[in-house]
Amino acid sequence: MAGISLEKIEELAPDQASLIAARKLVKPGGWSGLSSDRAGLIWGECQGSGSSPYRVIVSEADADYKCTCPSRKFPCKHSLALMWMRAEGKVAFEAAGTPEWVQDWLRRRRTSSGASAESEKDDASRAKSLAGAVVEEPDEVDPKAVARAAAARDRARREREDAIVAGLDDLDTWLVDQAEAGLAGFAGHAGKSCRSIAQRLVDAKAPGLASRVDALPNRIYGLPESARPMAAVEQLGQLHLIAEAYRRHESLSADLRADVRREVGWTQSREALLSEEGTVTVSGSWRVAGTVSEVQPDRLRRLETWLWREDPGEGPRIAALVDYVPVVAGQTKGAYRTGEQMQATLLFYRSARPLRALVREVISPAEERDSEIALGDRDLLKAYSEYEEAMATIPWLNVSPLSFADTRLRRNGERLFLCPAENDELALPLISSQAEAASPLLAIERFSGFGLWDGYTCRLCLAQTPLGRWVGE
Amino acid sequence: MNTEELRANMLPVLLSGARRESGEELLMLGSDREHSLLRALSLTGQSLRFTRRPVPSEFAVEHWPRDERRIVPDRLRRPILRLLDRSTEDAARALALVFDRQKLRPHPFDLPMLDGFVHRHADRLGATAQFWVQRQTPSQQLRGYFEADELTPKNWTESSLRPRVKFLKELRKQDAGSARKLLEQCWAGESPDNRVQLLSTLQTGLSAEDRQFLESIQKDRAPRVRAIVHKQLALLSGEAGDNAALTACMERIQRSKTGLLKKRAALKLELPANVKEHETNRWIQEQFAEMNIAQLAHACEMLDRELVEAAEKDENLLFALALMSSREKRIDLLDAITNELPEAWGRMSELSWDDDLERDREEADAWAAALVKPKKWLPPVPFPAWSWLHRQMEGHLPTTIMRDVLGSKAWKEQLEPEKKGGSEFVQVICALCPRELRGMVRAQLEPLEADRKDKGWMLLDILDELENVR
Repeated sequence: MAGISLEKIEELAPDQASLIAARKLVKPGGWSGLSSDRAGLIWGECQGSGSSPYRVIVSEADADYKCTCPSRKFPCKHSLALMWMRAEGKVAFEAAGTPEWVQDWLRRRRTSSGASAESEKDDASRAKSLAGAVVEEPDEVDPKAVARAAAARDRARREREDAIVAGLDDLDTWLVDQAEAGLAGFAGHAGKSCRSIAQRLVDAKAPGLASRVDALPNRIYGLPESARPMAAVEQLGQLHLIAEAYRRHESLSADLRADVRREVGWTQSREALLSEEGTVTVSGSWRVAGTVSEVQPDRLRRLETWLWREDPGEGPRIAALVDYVPVVAGQTKGAYRTGEQMQATLLFYRSARPLRALVREVISPAEERDSEIALGDRDLLKAYSEYEEAMATIPWLNVSPLSFADTRLRRNGERLFLCPAENDELALPLISSQAEAASPLLAIERFSGFGLWDGYTCRLCLAQTPLGRWVGE
Repeated sequence: MNTEELRANMLPVLLSGARRESGEELLMLGSDREHSLLRALSLTGQSLRFTRRPVPSEFAVEHWPRDERRIVPDRLRRPILRLLDRSTEDAARALALVFDRQKLRPHPFDLPMLDGFVHRHADRLGATAQFWVQRQTPSQQLRGYFEADELTPKNWTESSLRPRVKFLKELRKQDAGSARKLLEQCWAGESPDNRVQLLSTLQTGLSAEDRQFLESIQKDRAPRVRAIVHKQLALLSGEAGDNAALTACMERIQRSKTGLLKKRAALKLELPANVKEHETNRWIQEQFAEMNIAQLAHACEMLDRELVEAAEKDENLLFALALMSSREKRIDLLDAITNELPEAWGRMSELSWDDDLERDREEADAWAAALVKPKKWLPPVPFPAWSWLHRQMEGHLPTTIMRDVLGSKAWKEQLEPEKKGGSEFVQVICALCPRELRGMVRAQLEPLEADRKDKGWMLLDILDELENVR
């Protein structure tokens, strides 16, 4: 089976106990209706402790899954067991059409990391049938109701725009207060102060900006004490830039307008993105260059997958797939693992520097690859220059990917720094939480890699070394 | 205004607070104060963002050692990480031993994830692992990273303890005097733990020539060192009259005659009334620590074989003899004793063995064969004794003994499906199992619940793979 291997199941499992529990279920006897659509979807029903069997679905293309059991582990033992049986290939999965409950999941599935071709077809067929219904049953459509709904949406949108602008005015007032009081001591009261203005921004329907403000204290506290006042100036300065850009968004290019609106909190549904004209679509061989799993202050876990396109050619080489899951759901990892390769078509959100994307179509599912990712030969200095160019294009740029060659790790006190292998012209501090895990790289004279730079510290996601691949989790 | 002027003018205002400053600088950015302040904030912030961070004035020079060992194959890295995640110390030790035997080392990138394992078994995992463990040690306390077979009289003090003990013991076999001289030279600079371990090597080839050195360290600061010195001096003296411990023991050994037709001597050890049952083994170990079997037999006016026969009705005296014969590597006596006292090793495992002897493979096999009598166990030996056995053996059991273990009632009871409990017992049996019997263990484990057998099974698979690495 392509897509899911035993190694991948091992990585997906939340803990060893889940694997052990799943192993007990890897027996066809406990299952009924084990089926496959032969297009990457498998499902079955497993008799658990409940009165009715649990329904389990797995998408092989992206290792997405769903189970109706009440477990708080993700994936649960039933999902793992279904994957396991598939990976081992000892159990026959009957070819069958997707039952209603599977189709229901496909329709509901909300994933930026890749809807299968099936779900695309599904959307298309749904659109078609709706269109057909309109043609065949015109008397059921009430034009007044349609107009009323459109007007209501328009009114809500205008109200939100007004609320956001009012919120931004309050943000400016808050910024002036901070600057009047002096930013040398901002770090001392950042937590409380930022929480109150973040709350105001939530009320003003600007959740994106609110999240940014909410994350600001942690960002500042993570820096050495001496760097905090300057960081406060930089970070608060960016907030004003965003507010100003938003107020003037009509004078910005369409791409930058999309960036600032997204930064403030406007979102775009998958369907809207699919139907939008002029979006960047890139097909190719994508390698997973890094993954990030981080809990946000709003108790959502952000799962990022950073993809690197190996084929040269037009369009972005780097793409970020982002998923959000509630922390209480217990899921700590996304579906992809660093080093995996997949053939896919990605659809990029509009941006002056397109990065965030959706998987529009998976041509061949993600599979592990031992080979090095062809990250190119730009050195760290060149990679950093590209970051500066990106910052000139999007002044409030928060995190930017860096891919580099000929780099080494060096140590000063407790801190580790990424430096060019040949000179000391640049030293990018590594995030402190990676100091232990990354320290074996100190013995490597030269490596290529991929990391995420936030202006202060670099999160090293991947290092390709003579000793093999080092992966930052 | 260029960016440098902007920073020079605006940064002090923004940091100390605009309300404390005159605000004249802000007028450069417009007449509206609030608006100018916000512009100053965003422009200065942005100018700071485009300023590259200063490079530290110096970086540490890394001294990662050259490691001649091969790195463990990639395909085994993940299974090893999984195995060591909540495995028993026995499984970890078995893994470390095979790393050592095969001259393998963990992948350097796995060291942070294997930190606990590497700390406990660094001596067996190669130079890189030893460097990893010592990376935060002050430079003056650092040791070198030599394999035991790379040591010479010139560099032997630079290595870690285990290879040094091994080196010294080998040297004692070939040239006891040179080995003692090396020990004398480094003695003053060694830690108490090192002194205990190094001094125990004198046991190999102990002779009257060692007496002077032993007498010179009789007043060592560490009580454990003093105890070993006294023991070795007692061994050298060979006279009952010189040995106060022996005299004290003899006062507690009652002699009598037994048998109807043929009278035989019988010995009985009288324990002091204040020694409680759970303290018995410890008391016996302490009382009989400073004498040898020859001295005891001489004091009892018997041959050493007769000593065992005379003590056969007294489990405590038999246990004392088992301890002494194990220490003196008297395998023939130990074998005779455990025929009468098969649970001797269970009792031994309850004791701490700070000064236990290094045994080579052949000695360890013979010792285990004499000590472990699976067919005689009743009641079954508890888990800690198995773990102790693996520690003492530093490897697997001889095939014949292990075959008996796998057929023993004690082990069969562990395999019963309704038996509840963890997988510790399974892991230690797998750790003790020689290669040729692993198939048999796998077959026995097959019917068990996955959570009881998984770790043991995993250990067997990994050991098989590691032993095949060429």
